[in-house]
Amino acid sequence: MTALAPALPASRSNESARRVFAVIKLHFVNRFQILYMPLIVLGAIFLLNLAIWWIIVAASNGAVSGIHLGYSGAVSYIYVYGIVIAVQAISRTFPFSLGFGVTRRDFYLGSTLAFVALSFGFAVVLTIMSVIEIATNGWGVGGRMFAPLWFTNSFWLLRFVMYFCAFLFLLFIGTAGAAFYVRWRATGLTAFFAIIAVIILASVAYFTLGHHWDVVGRWIDQSGPVGITVWLLLPAAISAIAGFFVLRRATPKN
Amino acid sequence: MTTVVEVNGLTKRFGKFTAVDDVSFRVEENTIYGLLGRNGAGKTTMMQLLTGQQFASDGSIRVFGQSPVENAAVLGNICFIKESQAYPDDFKPRHVFESAPWFFQNWDAEFANRLISEFRVPVNRRIKKLSRGQLSAVGVIVGLASRAPLTFFDEPYLGLDAVARQIFYDRLLEDFGEHPRTVILSTHLIDEVSALLEHVLVIDDGKLIIDENADTLRGSATTISGTKSTVEAFVGKRTVLHREGIGGLSSITVEKLDSADRTAAASAGLELGPVSLQQLIVRKTSIPEAEFGAQS
Repeated sequence: MTALAPALPASRSNESARRVFAVIKLHFVNRFQILYMPLIVLGAIFLLNLAIWWIIVAASNGAVSGIHLGYSGAVSYIYVYGIVIAVQAISRTFPFSLGFGVTRRDFYLGSTLAFVALSFGFAVVLTIMSVIEIATNGWGVGGRMFAPLWFTNSFWLLRFVMYFCAFLFLLFIGTAGAAFYVRWRATGLTAFFAIIAVIILASVAYFTLGHHWDVVGRWIDQSGPVGITVWLLLPAAISAIAGFFVLRRATPKN
Repeated sequence: MTTVVEVNGLTKRFGKFTAVDDVSFRVEENTIYGLLGRNGAGKTTMMQLLTGQQFASDGSIRVFGQSPVENAAVLGNICFIKESQAYPDDFKPRHVFESAPWFFQNWDAEFANRLISEFRVPVNRRIKKLSRGQLSAVGVIVGLASRAPLTFFDEPYLGLDAVARQIFYDRLLEDFGEHPRTVILSTHLIDEVSALLEHVLVIDDGKLIIDENADTLRGSATTISGTKSTVEAFVGKRTVLHREGIGGLSSITVEKLDSADRTAAASAGLELGPVSLQQLIVRKTSIPEAEFGAQS
């Protein structure tokens, strides 16, 4: 008769934190892809925008400037990139981490914290750029890329909160979608979009049939842009929690 | 001996398909196991079950005395290198080797570096761009250098050339000698690994059909060659595992012979030969030999 091995080393109390931290580091080990690449592209987009503004201003002999140039919206690239990062981190890093002996729980906790850190970092970059943009009166030519038009007179911290919440929202929607994909493949992804469509449709039906749109209007009025983006944390949190339970029973596919 | 893995009545069903069917076995500490079987026999599923990547439909799994599912204490001692391992997008081998020590307490960076140069892995090339063999080498290096107490290699040979296979084989035995651990290696190239294995588990169609010490298994059959009539006379009513012949010559594989049998055979002018593990498994399981030899 052979002995059954309780041959496991006694787990230290900080073991769990160490493993979660290892997952966070794993998400950032390829620094070029997750940090430098989006910033380089953002920088290139910015320089292109700057050139275009300059051409317009120069060609119109200064007749067009400031508000007429409008808000370029070019910054949305980095938001889309954020979703891509989240989707890839869940769909590719998940099966990889499991091979390294990571539990789903530790993987998800580490990933969540990594996404919060990433959102924070991107929000800091956008905030700094918006502060410079406002201080230089639109980079000297009245261009607007980082600070939303209706928001140029705001306190920088409010803009930071907006950027931060927007990133969290997008990253966690991406996380939940990718978790559905990892768990149920294409069927899961279709179901995920179907669920979102049904939620949106149900809300529209509720407000339309019940003639509640005035409530929505008042709410938007009262909340303001910052309030509305802070409210994005609610769907972000729901996505994060849903993603956890979906991934908890997922198996890495070949 | 200490039991590292204990599996009882393990079953895994995917819908109506049963990938692992009522399997029970034990894995002893510091031994190299071969998990052999055809493609699609259930080897990968078995390994995924043992590492908590898959959830069992029925039966129990104990790894280090506990269930491996979502058990950090168990999984922290496991390294599972899968043939079809997914890597994060745009990862380069150096990212894999840089992050591995964060997860494997026994990681030996010096050993890893030596293996990287021996296998000639281009550490700065994107993993997507690696050849099949280079990709396998990345997994093999992680599996060896991690020195996890329980290491799983799923088809580590895929795409490796003869030199690289020999390096893997040598380094595994060498390092195993200095740092004993439990290794479970799945492959359908049985002869390639046969000298490496101490214990053999053969699964076919989800069922465990052989669970045997490798030496016992090797000694469990002998090939008798000679002229057709002499061979046939000697074999008599013994259980024949395999029979082949050309012209007047014949070669028959029978089950274990005792020393009296051997003396009798020798005096009858018959030649006795060992049976390779691959032939033995093929014959014992009546799996067509072609299913093994071919590298996919």
